[in-house]
Amino acid sequence: MIDYERFVLENGLKVLVHKDKSTPLIAMNILYDVGSRDEDPSMTGLAHLFEHLMFGGSKNIPDYDTPLQLVGGENNAFTNNDITNYYMTVPSENIETGFWLESDRMLELDFSMKNLNTQKNVVTEEFNQRYLNQPYGDAILKLRPLAYKVHPYRWPTIGMDMAHIKNTDLEQVKSFFFSHYAPNNAIIALTGNIDYDLAFKLSQKWFGPIEKRTVQSRNLPSEPEQTEESILSIERDVPSSAIYKVWHIGPRNSQDFYTLDLVTDLLAGGESGRLHTNLVRGKKLFSEINAYLTADIDPGLIIVQGKLMKGVDLQQAHESIKEVIDSLKNENGIEEDMEKVKNKFESSTVFSNTSILNKAANLSFCELLGNAGIINTEVETYRNVSRKMVVEAVERYFISSNSSTVNYLSTRKER
Amino acid sequence: MNNLQRVQPPVFPVEKVLIPEAKFFSLSNGVPVYLIEAGTEDIMRIEFIFKAGLIREDLPLLASTCNMMLSEGSKNYSSEELNRLLDYYGIFLNQSAEKDSAGIVLFFLNKHIEKVLELSREILFHPVFPEPELNSLMKKRLRWYLVNREKVQTLAIDQFFESLFGKNHPYGHQVIESDFENLTPSFLSDFHRRNYTTRNMAVIISGKINNRTAELLDLIFANIGSGGTDKEDNSNLMRGEKIKKVHINKPGTVQTSVRIGSTTINKRHSDYPGLKVLDSILGGYFGSRLMKNIREEKGYTYGISSSISSLDLSGYKVISTEVSNKNCQKTIDEILKEIKVLQNVPVKKEEMAVVRNYMSGEMLRMFDGPFALAESFRSAWEFGLDNSYYHRLAEKIKTITPDEIIELARTYYKIDDLYEITVGSE
Repeated sequence: MIDYERFVLENGLKVLVHKDKSTPLIAMNILYDVGSRDEDPSMTGLAHLFEHLMFGGSKNIPDYDTPLQLVGGENNAFTNNDITNYYMTVPSENIETGFWLESDRMLELDFSMKNLNTQKNVVTEEFNQRYLNQPYGDAILKLRPLAYKVHPYRWPTIGMDMAHIKNTDLEQVKSFFFSHYAPNNAIIALTGNIDYDLAFKLSQKWFGPIEKRTVQSRNLPSEPEQTEESILSIERDVPSSAIYKVWHIGPRNSQDFYTLDLVTDLLAGGESGRLHTNLVRGKKLFSEINAYLTADIDPGLIIVQGKLMKGVDLQQAHESIKEVIDSLKNENGIEEDMEKVKNKFESSTVFSNTSILNKAANLSFCELLGNAGIINTEVETYRNVSRKMVVEAVERYFISSNSSTVNYLSTRKER
Repeated sequence: MNNLQRVQPPVFPVEKVLIPEAKFFSLSNGVPVYLIEAGTEDIMRIEFIFKAGLIREDLPLLASTCNMMLSEGSKNYSSEELNRLLDYYGIFLNQSAEKDSAGIVLFFLNKHIEKVLELSREILFHPVFPEPELNSLMKKRLRWYLVNREKVQTLAIDQFFESLFGKNHPYGHQVIESDFENLTPSFLSDFHRRNYTTRNMAVIISGKINNRTAELLDLIFANIGSGGTDKEDNSNLMRGEKIKKVHINKPGTVQTSVRIGSTTINKRHSDYPGLKVLDSILGGYFGSRLMKNIREEKGYTYGISSSISSLDLSGYKVISTEVSNKNCQKTIDEILKEIKVLQNVPVKKEEMAVVRNYMSGEMLRMFDGPFALAESFRSAWEFGLDNSYYHRLAEKIKTITPDEIIELARTYYKIDDLYEITVGSE
């Protein structure tokens, strides 16, 4: 059970505080409700590029990192389809420096041409390192536009084309800031060695004076129901062929999300997951195989991906995946399997919540979903999944007209 | 409220890190056990460490394969049963074989302590190394290996170790495809019999420790006999390669992977804490000189870092980055330039203050919570050191002078000693 207090400043900034006196540190997490789904299709990658720019200095502070390091702090950030999330840990006696830094860059960034140009290069190198210079690195780039035709999830967070990054100008950056970075579009969570009163006082002092802004309203095109299976085969110079297969699911805030989370754990949670047991250990068709949900806020995807063993027939591999998924509808051992993944979910939740950083990030994200208290009820929601719900979810979502597949084929001679 | 002065609030010195002492006792068969009580949740971490790393192997892949096969079937359980039980009790099992040591780590809710110890005993002392499981594992590992060898990072680090420690030393030896065909169950049981013994073993436990832990450990592990042999010292074979610059051509890659470094002192040496500070200034954190110059100033890379690592028989320092092919030489020139600056120009007071405070904060993070505590304990203990090593490090962070840093950079970063490995398309 994670106890927390919550308050909202007049400018709309939401603040969550969880006290844990067993640590000398405080974690501060700031979530901005903006991700790559909020980008213009002709300027993709801007949300993530912007995350980089947030470290290049703000209105009154020329350099973000140095003052934080000077007080013993450490920080980082990530961007995904839905959110941009900044986090730090700092020795508790120096938490006010964290407030000073974060409030200044919420107030206004220092929009410098030099920083923009450098970070365009850094992001291009990040794209090269993650997607182009890794075997199988471009699979996900091919998969998204196959599964999504209109929703912005069709492009990856880093951007669908590096030309978009190169063409971004300072005016676009400024306008992005003022339409998305605002106290009324952010959630702060403070966890660790901090009292509620101090958290309230400092939030009021540093963030209170920042005025509410007009945040760009979100009017995303919803993805029409898929009616036909889509398949793309690509050839690459990689050692083994691989399969990437996805199915559309509902939004994050639904019971089905938890049911399907449990389903993917039955399939691939741990060494005893059914896909691994049957297809890696049993039939030896794959060298590795995994299944998971994208956990997006808007309707996301189930992803099953695996690399084939030498000489395995692609069709046989696909059929075997289907057989394993269908096995979830049978009585055989399912109750025991469900109890197993529920136990594992419970223990991994306990482990995840031993870290103040995880607690801060989870509290912020649950608040964005509608209620920070979700952090304390997820285990129960997951435990409440019944066998009937599993069978219904498998029948509803795992159908071929709802799926997209990338066959990633090795051009090498078998060895 | 609106006349708030947006200037940095007072900077308080980072409080001294409090490091709890581990409680020590021995099982009746002599196995040392260290208990670190910490944390607020009812969870535990248990690590079983053996001197069973790569340094002990006569054949490539032997140490890692033996370690991975521990959970592939035991006297009383098949691999499938073992995996099901671990998952059923929500236990997380990590197996690993490093250069010097190997073992397993388990994370679990402390109410399951008895089950965890019983399964650990099966895994550690009664593995049966079934042939079908071994064959299947080696086929899988070959696929993973082939994929990894597509990555410029993997090729670079493998070559780096070969250059530093020599082709024939276990620290430097590179695995080749045919190595995946050479292992048999009897090689594995032999390696296991010699190295996974109570004489070679230690146990580190942290978390909210179940009060039956000591009693159960003795009950479950004390009747396991000793044995094991002391393997002869391999250090006489350690010989760095003569050629300092190696380029591996990997056509079609858009970035070049760079590794620059050499062997150096390890934790047991009294200069090591000072070298840690020097390494941080050079490339050990986001505000380091390499990061500022090569990423934040020039935008050549997504990341660049330097680190120093300790091995039982040696130690090494390495600067790592991936850069676009066209900026590779410029990056290397800048790296060497930064080292020369550290050898000749005293670090200014302001930068010293930043690195001192950043590292002091880092020390708080190194001892925050039961998992971090256990890892930090282990990484000193492995070198025969105790918490006094960390107290010396904390002291050095506060007191090191710019002159000492110049001296350390001249002693330990001789440009002529550095190996330079690059992998990318020409």
